[in-house]
Amino acid sequence: MPALALFAFAVLGPIIGTGVFSLYEWDGFGEQVAVGLDNYSRALSDRVFRTAFLNVAIYIALTLILEVLVGLILAGLITARTKGTAFFRVVFFIPVTLPIVVVAVIWGFVYNPDFGLINSLLEEVSLQSWAQIWLGNPRTALVAVSVVSGWIFSGFFMAIFYAGIRQIPTEIVEAARIDGASEFQIFRRVKVPMIRNVVLVACLLAIVGGFQGFDLFFVLTNGGPFNATEIPTTYLVKAVFRHQNVGYGSAMAVIMTLTVLGISGVFALLRRRGREERTAH
Amino acid sequence: MTVGRRKVSGIGIAIVLAILVAACGEDAQETTTTAAPTTTEAAMEEVTLRVAMSSPGDVQIGVWEAVAAAFEEGNPNVTVELNFVADDIYETIGLQSLLTGNDAPDIYFEWAGARLANRYQEGFAADLSDFRENELSSLLEDGAFNGMVVDGKTVMVPGNADVTTVMWYNVDIFEEHGLAVPETWDEMLELSKTLLEAGVTPIGIGNKDLWPVGNWTSHIVSRSMGEEAYDQMLKREIPMDNPALIEALDYIVQMQEAGIVNESANAINDNDGAELFFRGEAAMHPIGSWLVSWAIEVAPDLNFDFFNLPPLDGAGVQDSIIAVSTGHVINAQSENIEVAKDFMLLFSSLEFASMMVDAGGTPLTNGAFDREDIDPRVQSLVELIQNAGAVVAPPDTGYELEVAEALYQAEAEVLAGVSTPAEAAANAEAKLG
Repeated sequence: MPALALFAFAVLGPIIGTGVFSLYEWDGFGEQVAVGLDNYSRALSDRVFRTAFLNVAIYIALTLILEVLVGLILAGLITARTKGTAFFRVVFFIPVTLPIVVVAVIWGFVYNPDFGLINSLLEEVSLQSWAQIWLGNPRTALVAVSVVSGWIFSGFFMAIFYAGIRQIPTEIVEAARIDGASEFQIFRRVKVPMIRNVVLVACLLAIVGGFQGFDLFFVLTNGGPFNATEIPTTYLVKAVFRHQNVGYGSAMAVIMTLTVLGISGVFALLRRRGREERTAH
Repeated sequence: MTVGRRKVSGIGIAIVLAILVAACGEDAQETTTTAAPTTTEAAMEEVTLRVAMSSPGDVQIGVWEAVAAAFEEGNPNVTVELNFVADDIYETIGLQSLLTGNDAPDIYFEWAGARLANRYQEGFAADLSDFRENELSSLLEDGAFNGMVVDGKTVMVPGNADVTTVMWYNVDIFEEHGLAVPETWDEMLELSKTLLEAGVTPIGIGNKDLWPVGNWTSHIVSRSMGEEAYDQMLKREIPMDNPALIEALDYIVQMQEAGIVNESANAINDNDGAELFFRGEAAMHPIGSWLVSWAIEVAPDLNFDFFNLPPLDGAGVQDSIIAVSTGHVINAQSENIEVAKDFMLLFSSLEFASMMVDAGGTPLTNGAFDREDIDPRVQSLVELIQNAGAVVAPPDTGYELEVAEALYQAEAEVLAGVSTPAEAAANAEAKLG
C-alpha cells in the first residue's frame, strides 16, 4: 500500500496532471480554458513537432551505432586477450561520469567554428577546406550532437556488454580458441550471440534514452539551426517554458509518452516472439 | 531576448516622447537617501517586502542593496528581501513560479508591452494611477509611463530604457581602412565589402538563440514595412507571409549575398559573438546599449563607438530606434502595497537613479543624466533616444514570444541563405498556424 501511494504521488499524479493540462489552454498564470483535443490536433499538424520526431529518430539510429555498436566493439576489445584492459575500461567509462552539461560545454569549444579544436586541427594539417560550422550548419549539426552523445554513452554500453561477456563461461571461449578461432571470430560467433539479450536491452535503453535526450541538445544547439536539431523534448520545453503554452506542451508530452510506450511494447513483443521461436526450434 | 547581459524590455511606439521628456527633466526633485517612514498603518507592523527581478548584474545589484538598506533604515519595521534570478529563467518560468508561489513578490521586474498587459489581466499588477499622479509626478514625466498603461490604468513604475540594437564599431579598424560611419544602407554595404576585401569580418554576432540578429533585423523590417504594419504583423492582425515583410527581408538577402556577417553566427551565442568584436576580429557588432559597461570591463583598450541603422528606402520612420523600457510592478495580491509604493518612490529618487547611471543603467527619472561625468557613448545613446523619430518595440519583449521567435527564425533563415524571403515568411506563418 505505501508503495502504491508513492507510485500514485510520484508517477501517476504527474502523468494524469499532464493529461488533464493537455485539454486546456493555459499560460501557467491565468485562467485555464478547456479546448478539448485542439492541442493534439495542433501538435499533429505542427511541422516543427513532426520534424522533431524525425530528428529524434535519426538521432536514435545514430546512437545505436555510435553508442551501442561502438560500446559493443569496445567491450569486445577489452575482453580480448590483451594487456592493459583495466586502463581502457576506466578511460572509456570516464565520459559517463561527467555531467552532460559539462561535456556539452567542452564539446561546444571543440566544435567552435572560430577557435575550436576540430577546425584548428584541420587547419594544422592543411585540410581547412574540410572545416565546417559544425553546430551551425543544418546538415552537420545533428550528426555533431550525436557524436558527442556517442562519446559519452559508448562507455556506458561498453560497461554493460563487458559485464555480460564476463558472464560467459570461460570454457566456451577457451574451446573456441582451441578450435583455432580468432579473437574476432570468438567475439562475433560466440560472445555476441551469447549476450544477445543484453544487446537487445541495450538497444531498448538507447531508444528510450534517445527520446529522453535533452541537455546535450539544449546546451549545444538549443534545437537550431532552423530546427535541424529540434527534438520533442527541446520543442516541448520551449512550448511550456518559453512560450508559456502549458496545454500545448502537455499534449506534446502525452504524445511523446505514448510513442515511447508503444515502442517499448513493440520491442517487448518482438523479444517474446523471438524467444518463443528459439524455444520452438 | 534573454541571455547574457541584456537587461531590456518591451516598449510602445510612442515611448520616445516619454524617454525624451523624462531624460530632460529639469524640474526633478531630489529626495534624501534615507527614506521617510511610511505613512501607512503597515509602518507599525513587522513587514517583509519581497522584491524580485532578473539579475541586473553585480554593479546594479549593489544599487538595489543600497536602496534596501536606506529603506530599512527609514522603516525599521520593514525587512526588504531582494531576489535576483538569472535573466532567461526569470523571463520564462522564474517569474511565473514566483508569482504563483507561497511567498510571492510584492514588487517585481517586468518588461513593458505585451507581458505587462498579461500580468495585469492575470491579476498580478496593481493600479498605480493615483501613485503616478501624486507621489511620482515630480520624479517621472508622463511620457515615461508610455507602454505602462493597461486599460487606462498605470500598472508599472518606470525603471530603465535601453536601445536594444545599435551598430557598435571598432574605431581603430575603421580609421585603419579609411572608413567613415555610413549615412546610407548602400554605404553600409560598401564599407562592409571594403572590410571583407581587407580580410576583416565586417559584422560579428552570435545568433544561436536567435534574438541577437532578430532584434537587429527586426529594426530593418520595421523601417522597411513601416511601424504600423510591423506592429500589426506582430500582433497577428496581418499574416507573416505578407508582401511587405517579404520585401523587407530583401535587405537581409543583400547582407547574406555580400557575406558581411560571420559564418559562425548560427553556431555561437551572443557572448561569443561579442567576443569577436572585443578581440578585434569583427569590425562591427549589432547589440544594445548594455555593451558599453560590458566592453569597458572585458576589453578596456577597445576603441569603440556606435551608429544607428542607416536610413532605408522604406515605409517606416527612417530615424527610428529599436528600444525597450522596463520597470517594476506592484503585485495586486500583495498585502503590502502601500509599503511597496514607498519603496518604489525611494528607488525612483534622483539620488538612486544617479547611482543606477553610474552602474550602467539608463533610468527614466528626471535629471538622471544631467551630469558631466557620464561616458560619452552613454550620453550619445541618451541623445539618440531623445532625438529618435519613433521607437520600435523589439518583437520578443513587446509582443508574444512565440510570434517573435517565428519572425526571428525567418530572418535568421534568410541571413543564412537557407530560405528565400518568401519561403522564410511562409515558414513563419505556418509555424504560427
